[in-house]
Amino acid sequence: MIVMGVETSCDETSVAISKDGKTMLSNVVLSQMELHASFGGVVPEIASREHVKGITAVFEEALKQAKITAKDVDLVAVTKGPGLIGSLLVGINAAKAFAFAHQIPIIGVHHIAGHIYANQIEGEMRFPLVCLVVSGGHTELILMRDHYRFEKLGETLDDAVGEAFDKVARVLGLGYPGGPKIDAQAVKGTPSYPMPDVPRKDEFTFSYSGLKSHVINLLNTMKMKGETVNVPNMCASFQEAAVEQLIYKSRQAVDAIGATMFMIAGGVAANKRLRARVEETFKDVEVLVPPFTYCTDNAAMMSIAGYYRYQMRPDNEGLSINGYPRLDLTEND
Amino acid sequence: MRASSPTLMLDTASEHLYLALVNSQGDVIDDVYRQGKNDHSVTLMPAISDLLEKHNLTPSQMKRIVVGIGPGSYTGVRAGVTVAKVLAWSLNIPLSTVSSLALIASGAQEGATLVWHDARNQNGFYGLFEVRKRQLIRLAADAFGSMKEARDTLRFQREINEGKPNPAVLFASQEIKAVENVHEVAPVYLRQTEAERNKE
Repeated sequence: MIVMGVETSCDETSVAISKDGKTMLSNVVLSQMELHASFGGVVPEIASREHVKGITAVFEEALKQAKITAKDVDLVAVTKGPGLIGSLLVGINAAKAFAFAHQIPIIGVHHIAGHIYANQIEGEMRFPLVCLVVSGGHTELILMRDHYRFEKLGETLDDAVGEAFDKVARVLGLGYPGGPKIDAQAVKGTPSYPMPDVPRKDEFTFSYSGLKSHVINLLNTMKMKGETVNVPNMCASFQEAAVEQLIYKSRQAVDAIGATMFMIAGGVAANKRLRARVEETFKDVEVLVPPFTYCTDNAAMMSIAGYYRYQMRPDNEGLSINGYPRLDLTEND
Repeated sequence: MRASSPTLMLDTASEHLYLALVNSQGDVIDDVYRQGKNDHSVTLMPAISDLLEKHNLTPSQMKRIVVGIGPGSYTGVRAGVTVAKVLAWSLNIPLSTVSSLALIASGAQEGATLVWHDARNQNGFYGLFEVRKRQLIRLAADAFGSMKEARDTLRFQREINEGKPNPAVLFASQEIKAVENVHEVAPVYLRQTEAERNKE
């Protein structure tokens, strides 16, 4: 089965083609990151405009690289949320038009299901598994007992971890996007600054607003005292505390469930320190981490998630699919 | 009227969803003109599918697509332009564009008509046209500006902000522009985004 994935939930226009839920035939990503960097973050209206401009060229390139024609596609899987609504709707309208033009079924897929399934591209999920989803908008632990069955174990009570990375990067003057900038600085430093303890409650919840405020207050105090900030050390200190919370809660969840496998997913899954700590901590269970190329938004993961969604429930959602800025993963649709 | 390889016209830049199947002279075979609820992205594709099905047409039997390219609602116009681009590209059907304001003007009575699309704060997108002998003549380029400016500087007999298009009148005008490269088609916004304006 040939599945076309379409992803436009934020600032990447992406179309990918996969075969039988495993082989990636193409994954074309047109990134707008440079365009938004000068604004210090993604500007929704600019993102939507860029998606319309690039959309057919990306479709064409995806088919070309996959060496197939439109007629070979069996299913279209499009991101229906969560994300920027104006951006989502461009991909959804394009996917619907393509499905209609070639009279093939279409389904809407949850963006986070896509990130989770990025792990299936080069690995093989084994259930029950616990997946830590970490990005600019999400910090949550998901339990899967089977393909495309998501149960939420817990999530952040305030900020997402990626949001905290972005904010800390901004106050340190490192620019946007914050995650990779802090990661790069932290490698050169040691965690020498005091950070708050990881909240050790027996719940699978996270909190990042306290850590974020701590760093901001610390920087303000140092500034008032005229002390120089060692940026690499500050990054390493913050990152260590941020990652430790993720690791601690993930370990708790894996043990409580008796999971066979642990995975990470989302943009922050590209963080090198997190990946290293995952490897150290979960030696007793199978571990999957997504390839770096599939950590950021891409349609490859949407096409794989779409394949499994369709295997579990082969219904054509048809041409009235809508986009949703907020969407609960555990609704399982 | 028989519907053999018709032209599909569509526009989603206003509050109304507009679709029409027309012959090569612009005579209407069938059409849809209905008030939306900010939901063109949900209703557009089902409406196209229903219209073609009603006339026993497959998607590839469309001879040409003419899409309203704005100015108007940003999210609205993107729905129509995205769908038109993908249909035209993937079915290899010729694509043409037309001003969404000209579409509205084409259905007006004879005489100079200001078409106004409200964009809040007394501002709007507007165009000045005249229907003369069943032809649409443009009197001024589409623009963005204040209501006061438009009323003070332009001379017209009536002001409209909606109206069902008349394809035959449009086809007899210079308003329909053939597209050479479908990939390059983008809506006409006439305005930079707020972020870009604030930056300057």
